[in-house]
Amino acid sequence: MEEIQQTIEMDRLNHGRFESWPFSQDFCVTCGLCSSSCPASGIDGFDPRKLVRMVSLGLEDEVIEARWPWICTMCAKCEHVCPMEINIPGMVRSIRGLREREKVPGILHKGLDAALKTGNNLSLPKEDFIFILEDVGEEIADEPGFEGFKVPIDKEGANILTTIHNKLVNTHTDDLKHWWKIFYAAKEDWTVPSDNWEGTNWGLFTGDDAAMKTMTGRIVDNMEKLKIRNLLWPE
Amino acid sequence: MFELLIQYIREGRIKLDKSKFDNVLATYHDPCNYARKAEKLFGHGYFDEPRWILDQCMENWVDLYPAKREQFCCGGGGGTMTTGYNAERILYGKKKMDQIKAAGAKMLVVPCHSCHGQINNIKKEYEMEDLEVKYLWELVADCLKV
Repeated sequence: MEEIQQTIEMDRLNHGRFESWPFSQDFCVTCGLCSSSCPASGIDGFDPRKLVRMVSLGLEDEVIEARWPWICTMCAKCEHVCPMEINIPGMVRSIRGLREREKVPGILHKGLDAALKTGNNLSLPKEDFIFILEDVGEEIADEPGFEGFKVPIDKEGANILTTIHNKLVNTHTDDLKHWWKIFYAAKEDWTVPSDNWEGTNWGLFTGDDAAMKTMTGRIVDNMEKLKIRNLLWPE
Repeated sequence: MFELLIQYIREGRIKLDKSKFDNVLATYHDPCNYARKAEKLFGHGYFDEPRWILDQCMENWVDLYPAKREQFCCGGGGGTMTTGYNAERILYGKKKMDQIKAAGAKMLVVPCHSCHGQINNIKKEYEMEDLEVKYLWELVADCLKV
C-alpha cells in the first residue's frame, strides 16, 4: 500500500472505471464515521474511508491487489453509520470479485470450486453423506423421547426442504441433531436432499455472482424436483 | 428460520422447559446478515424475533451493550474464517469478547454458523474457555419437553 501513498498518476483518476457499479462512493464526505465504527480499522493499516477514496479515485489495480477487502468482515457497521448511505460492504464484495480466482486467499475459492464441481464444499460422495446422516439419525433414535426417529432423505412432497452446512457432516455432526429433534417434536414433514445439499454459498464471500446463482439454482431445482414449497436454509 | 421456530412455539407444536438454564446467565449476539444487512437488503432486520424465542426458553438472559443495529461484529463474517488471515480475525474478536465479559454472560446464543465458529474458535485467546456458545435452534432443542 505504501507506493500509492507516494504518487497518484493523474491519468488514473478515472471514476469511469468503476461506473458500472451501482455504488455511491463518489458521495463520500470523508467524515470518517466508517473508520471509527469498523472492527478491522487499523489492522494492516485498514481504513474503510481510505478504501472508499481509493475506489473513488479509480485506483482499481491497487484495491484489487490489497489485502484490505479480504480482512474486512463485511459486517455493515460502516454502512449503518454512513451519513451518505454508501454501500461499503457491497463495494468490498465487488472488489473481491475482481481479483483473479487463483489469488483468492485461503480455501474460499477452492471450497467454492469443489462445490460447483461436486455439489458440496467437501467433495463428499453421496454414499458417505447418506451414511453420516443415517448414523446420526440412529444416535437420536437411541435417546429417550426420540424413539423411531429416522432422517427422511429425498422425500417427495414434504412440507420443508432443509440444506446442510458442510461442517455438520464433517467435524460437527452432533450439531445436525438440534433441528432434527425440533422437527421430531413438532411432527414436521421435512426432508434433506441427497444431492446438492450444501447450504453455504461462498460466492457471497468471493464476490462471485455466477457461482452464487448456480448454487442457489440447485436448491430451487431440488425443491421443484421433490415438489416442496418451503425451504429452511439456515446457513 | 425464526418464523418457523416461532410458529412451532405459538401453535403449541413444541413445548419448552423454561427452567433448564435457570443457573446460567445467557446473552444474544445479532449476526450482521440477519440484522443490519437483512434490514438494508430486505427491509426487515431480525432483532425482536430471536429475543422473543429466548424469552420462551429462559427467564435469565441479558442483552449485550450495544445491541441490535449497533451490535459489534463477531469478527468471523465475510468468509474471514477461511481466508487464512487468522491473526487479524482473532484481533477483531477482542471487542466482542470484551462486550460479552462486560455482560457477565456464561452462555452466548447465536443463530449463525460463522459467528458460532468464530466465537468458539477465539474464546481460548481471551481466557473465556468456559463460555458456552449455542445456536439459537440448539437452545430450543435443549429446552424441548419430550
